[in-house]
Amino acid sequence: MFAGAFMMGAKDRLLPPVIPFRFFASAVLFHVAGWAVLAWGAQDVPGFQGGGGAVVAALHLVTLGVLAMTAMGAAYQMLPVATRRQLGPAWACSLSWWLFNPGIVALGLGLGTGWSLVLEVGAGLCVAALALFGLLVARNLARVDDLPAVTWPAWVAMASLAAVLVLAVVLVVDMDVGLLTDRPALAATHALLAGYGFMGMLVVGFSAVLVPMFVLSKPVDDAQGKKVAAVAALALLVAVSGTLGRVFWLQALGCVLGLGAVGLYVVMQRRVLASRMRKKLEPFFRLLKAGWALQVLSLAAALALALGAPADRLAPLWGWLLVFGWLLSFATGILQRIMPFLASMHSGAKGGKPVLLSHLTHQRLLDLHAAAHGAALALMMAAIVLDQPLLARLAAVSGLAGALAFGGFAAVLMTRYRAHERSS
Amino acid sequence: MLLQSQIGSLLHQDHMTTIETLQGLEELLGSHRKPPAVDAALAERLGALAATLRAEVESHFAFEEGHLFPMFVSKGETGIVMMLTHEHRSILPMAVRVAELAQAAAAQGFDEQSWRDFRDTGVELVEREIFHIQKEEMGLLAAISALLDDAEDAALAATYKATVK
Repeated sequence: MFAGAFMMGAKDRLLPPVIPFRFFASAVLFHVAGWAVLAWGAQDVPGFQGGGGAVVAALHLVTLGVLAMTAMGAAYQMLPVATRRQLGPAWACSLSWWLFNPGIVALGLGLGTGWSLVLEVGAGLCVAALALFGLLVARNLARVDDLPAVTWPAWVAMASLAAVLVLAVVLVVDMDVGLLTDRPALAATHALLAGYGFMGMLVVGFSAVLVPMFVLSKPVDDAQGKKVAAVAALALLVAVSGTLGRVFWLQALGCVLGLGAVGLYVVMQRRVLASRMRKKLEPFFRLLKAGWALQVLSLAAALALALGAPADRLAPLWGWLLVFGWLLSFATGILQRIMPFLASMHSGAKGGKPVLLSHLTHQRLLDLHAAAHGAALALMMAAIVLDQPLLARLAAVSGLAGALAFGGFAAVLMTRYRAHERSS
Repeated sequence: MLLQSQIGSLLHQDHMTTIETLQGLEELLGSHRKPPAVDAALAERLGALAATLRAEVESHFAFEEGHLFPMFVSKGETGIVMMLTHEHRSILPMAVRVAELAQAAAAQGFDEQSWRDFRDTGVELVEREIFHIQKEEMGLLAAISALLDDAEDAALAATYKATVK
């Protein structure tokens, strides 16, 4: 039901542009920072099994700084328009940004250096920001009963977020106090809930909104959307139980159910694409499609791990496929389309022509980003499988080059948008 | 869901025709760097393009602004009306210009200048009109279903058939 309702009253419910664009600007900067820190500690990626240091700092700069930051900006902007219900006061959205940015910086620094006070302050700020975000979104979702293809996955995402935050607090406290008997199991649960539960289910919900809109297709089928969310929720419950209890057959079952949910999701998206009026798919779809394929591979790697394959190679490969392969590809794909889309929608408010999307989009920089990102993904997979630290560094440098190109795209977009607004 | 109303279905059909036309225009513009020779087939294509642009854009916009949008405004949905009307103001002159250039080229062919005008205006028209249709498909048609009752829907459909098709 969602897609058709998206634009109705959109202009009335769009937040001031500064709010989502603050989140997107932060995401672009943390994207560069994440790859830079990863390049610094890249030699530790092959064989990585957890713990502190540059790799885990880079991981959180990307997961929180890019993925969650993008999700927050997009949700604040789109959910009230999509659901036709107010999301919350603009100051609360801004507050979450003010809490989140220093929180991510401090958390990254704390994880990278082992300075526990900095880590704790950073974690506290991040938890506060994400909890505020979760409350605002949940309050909005609670008023909606007619958009199940969006709200069902969003509810699973919010439930996962709550669990992720609790586990994060426990993991941080444990670093000082040492209360956990099986820290790796809890860390793995935190990772799978954050990746597949929180971010993954937001991807499913956002896809139901954005893909039909961009390709001019029939909206996502509600029954299909509910089925994806239900199977994914079951998969998460089973996988979490298996991981916490170290019951490997439950972990494997969770992966199989997860693959089932992905299968349903892919079928749903294929139907959307098959019914599209706009035949030419825009370039950002290459990142979405790559993300969808790598999502399947991440679950296959998780299944192999559950079935007893060696963790020294497969555990880092799984994390790589999940975070950088699927989620980062999807997030940068959406970000490069939604930024010019929103800028164009907000432009022309003074009576001039809205600025053209093609004028805002520096396609060559995006092509460069896509090529460097793709090369980074492939090189790092090879580095992990072949246990080659030098190759890992090359991969991270390639990712950094891509992130800089993406930053250039964002800078050009904002410069051109401002110039257009000044002249209109 | 989008096509629950009669008038929504009619406007959607217009959009389908316009998108097809715009995709054809995009293909034509993308496949020629220099002015193409206008043979009988291309002349026919350009004539059809001009006719479709006039029919689908000019009369479609006029119907929306003259009949549909006032009904929306009377129901308090001013935001979407302002946004779409504003876009009509920038798209319509461009569509008329492309139609005129296509018609002229169908008769006399393209030279360097007329091809450059046709290409530059055409590229911008394709982008603006597709973005506009995205908004109408995703918002306007749903708003029609949500805001209009059956009698209003039937009356608008009758007006549309009498004035547009």
